[in-house]
Amino acid sequence: MILRTPAPKRARPIEPAPIIESPPVGSDHRQLAIYEDPSSAGPARREPSQQSEHMLCTYQCRQMVKADFLDALSNAEKQVQDYQSKLAELNDNFGKADEERKTFREKLSYVEQELAAAKGREQALHDQLLKEVNDSHERLKKELELSSKLQAKLENEQNLRKKAESTAAAAEDKAKELEAKLGHISKSIEKEKKRFNNELAQLNRDSKFSITKITVDLEKMEFRAKSSEQEVELLRKQQEDLQSKFSECLHQKSELEKRLTSLSFEDDSPKESDVLVKHLQEELRNYESEVREARKLKSAHDSIELMKEKLLEEKSRRERVELQLPKLQEYELKINKLEDELSAWKLMIQDIPGVSCCDDVPLRISALQKEVIDNLKKLGEVNAHLKQMQVVLDKTQLDKQKTETEAALAKEKADRLEAEVKRMNLMLSAVSEERNMLKIAIEDFKSKNEQAGGHASSSAMQELESSLLKREPYIKELEGDLFAQKDINTRQQDEIKSLHDRLNSEARKVKSLERESDRLRSEIFLLESKLGHGDFSAANTKVLRMVNTLAVGNDAKQTIEALQSELQRTKEKLQALEEYKSQSGNSGKLVDSYMSGKVAQLKEQIATLEKREERYKTVFADRISVFRRACCELFGYKIVMDERQRPNGIPVTRFTLQSIYAMNDDEKLEFEYESGNTNIVENGYTSTSEISQQVDIFVRKMNSIPAFTANLTVESFNRRTLS
Amino acid sequence: MASKTAAKDIITLRGSAAIVSEFFGYAANSILYNRAVYPEESFARVKKYGLPMLLTKDEGVKSFISNLNAQLSEWLEAGKLQRVVLVIMSMNTGEVLERWNFSIETDNEVVEKGVSREKSDKEIMREIQAIMRQIASSITYLPCLDEQCVFDVLAYTDTDVAVPFTWMESSDAKLIANPQMVKLHSFDTKIHKVNTLVSYKNDEELDDEE
Repeated sequence: MILRTPAPKRARPIEPAPIIESPPVGSDHRQLAIYEDPSSAGPARREPSQQSEHMLCTYQCRQMVKADFLDALSNAEKQVQDYQSKLAELNDNFGKADEERKTFREKLSYVEQELAAAKGREQALHDQLLKEVNDSHERLKKELELSSKLQAKLENEQNLRKKAESTAAAAEDKAKELEAKLGHISKSIEKEKKRFNNELAQLNRDSKFSITKITVDLEKMEFRAKSSEQEVELLRKQQEDLQSKFSECLHQKSELEKRLTSLSFEDDSPKESDVLVKHLQEELRNYESEVREARKLKSAHDSIELMKEKLLEEKSRRERVELQLPKLQEYELKINKLEDELSAWKLMIQDIPGVSCCDDVPLRISALQKEVIDNLKKLGEVNAHLKQMQVVLDKTQLDKQKTETEAALAKEKADRLEAEVKRMNLMLSAVSEERNMLKIAIEDFKSKNEQAGGHASSSAMQELESSLLKREPYIKELEGDLFAQKDINTRQQDEIKSLHDRLNSEARKVKSLERESDRLRSEIFLLESKLGHGDFSAANTKVLRMVNTLAVGNDAKQTIEALQSELQRTKEKLQALEEYKSQSGNSGKLVDSYMSGKVAQLKEQIATLEKREERYKTVFADRISVFRRACCELFGYKIVMDERQRPNGIPVTRFTLQSIYAMNDDEKLEFEYESGNTNIVENGYTSTSEISQQVDIFVRKMNSIPAFTANLTVESFNRRTLS
Repeated sequence: MASKTAAKDIITLRGSAAIVSEFFGYAANSILYNRAVYPEESFARVKKYGLPMLLTKDEGVKSFISNLNAQLSEWLEAGKLQRVVLVIMSMNTGEVLERWNFSIETDNEVVEKGVSREKSDKEIMREIQAIMRQIASSITYLPCLDEQCVFDVLAYTDTDVAVPFTWMESSDAKLIANPQMVKLHSFDTKIHKVNTLVSYKNDEELDDEE
């Protein structure tokens, strides 16, 4: 520690005002005491020595000189006194100057000490500042590292989220595709399987049945053919025999007839002829029966030939079936493949968790879709929350930085105040030490002065005491400053504490506000979703719907159009079929009949729709005419509406109004109506002065066409009634 | 229409109602064209809001929309209209495929006291133009309507509104279950604020149906 005050110097014996004992004036004791003062009493010593030399003259002169001496002595004593007083003054001045010097020296040393102390403090502060800067740098680095780590984590999480989203979207797409494919394929598989099974069964049955039937028929037919061939041969032989017999019989019959004709003229042996006739009749009957049998045989022969043809057909059918048998094998192979695919899909279904059969797949997919939607919603919410958290994090970081700077500033203030307090304490301690030293010095001086004796010490003591007294208020001031600084320091510390508390409370408020904002955001989201969904409160709102006849008319038009297109298509088909029919024979008749039936049906539909349209038109025309007449009678104007097109292609509806009280046919008002706006059109009638004035007032200024027409009606009515 | 006084920025209740009802007419036409509810050739090109707008030439649709606009204007002047919804449905199944929701916030002070407000016409037109552009660009994200569709209009009003004879109260608000929603821009005449939102049937469900 550097001393603020130098070590007390030893009190010089002549330090206070040199005390010169002047001989008392008029005393008998006339010994001259020569007091040697090495410093201040130097010049005073010389004069007495000169005088003493004068004193050493002769006895005679002694008496003379004695008087002179006494005079001189008295003068000298006076001078001495003067000199002593001067000396005292000088001593005083010297003391003062010494004191001043000392004070200045003390001040200088004090200042030097202060300077050294300030330098030391500065160095200490500098070191502290460097430490703090290093600490803050380190903290900043750590925080930067943390923030970079957090950012990296955030980026990683965002990447992961994006990846998850993309994978979820890809999985969803795949799931959709797979689901669609699965649905299609399963349906198609089932259909085809069913179809193939049915076809296969049918084909099998048909084939088996046909094969057995064919074989049986074949055998039968073969047997029959053989037997019929044999019969045919027999019958042919019989037929030949019978034919020969028939020819013989015919011959005999002709002969008999000849005979009968000849016998009819002869009456002899009628009995023999009757018997012959009877025999012949019997033979004829036999021959007729044989002829019938022959005819039967012929029909049987024809039937045999038919059977042969049928046999050929059955053979051809058998060949066709045999040709279709490899196709059956192909179908079986296809069925096997489809069954393999089906088993593979079933295995795939088994791999899907939560699915036991095909029916569970759509349910599972819908559940997965719902999960995906929920997860996406959650993801969206999490993203929103994450963004909010990022915003809040940035805000809190900024707040943190602010509070840190404030805390640093407060710390600096506190440190400065502490340093000041220390300084003040040091000052106080130094001052008190000085005071103590001065007291010690004063006591030493007192003791020394008591040894030396004299009054001069009392004045110096008094001066010292006065200087001490002067310093005491200064010390008190310093103590007061120190206390004030202490108070300020405590206040600053309290402020810092309160700032810390405020910071914590603000952080808590921020968190609660964040939670509140999240809740409000979710509420807003819910409300917006409800608004978008179309929900409403029946207590405040009712939903009204305008009667919409557009769809009905559209329906009728569209059905008519559809039917007409279908009719055209059927007509084209009919033409194509007729062409085909001209090429082929029987099949055309069937198609023709079918198509004609369809065409007739469509024509009937078209006729009914056209009738309906006509009815609508008549009803509409009636209603519109009623409406027009009512408007004319109620408002006093005949209204004619027609569509026109402007030069730029925009369609415009023009209304022509003619008052029922009009004097002539030229008194017509024309208005154009376009997308909700009605504008008056200038013509010869409206350009007349009276009408144009009314147009300006009612239409252009007051923007009211009904007022204009009503005014015009009243004027026309007045004119008519007056006329 | 806006009062044609010397200062064109004054908006009255009637003017604001006319602006909103006119906007709805053009928006409905634009939606019907962009969503192909009616064929392209049945629309004609006009200039409005600084954009080429398409208006239907079909007389039935025209008269329907004009009657609708007249009624909406009346309700807007009375401050009774809360929302207008244009619904697009499948013709065959009647299923609701899209809902174009125009919600309206009315300044009740203007309705009760008859005061007027100030806003630049250009600003209002600019806001409406932005909405029309968004409607035109909605085809980029809305699912394709491959089947024949029809449209209908619903009006959400206060409960004390008298039902006109061409209207009827409907218990069915024609809602879509689990819709996707897209919020479009809004415009404000300082008397009526119109917010636009389109909700449509989830695309995945449409793919499933296909």
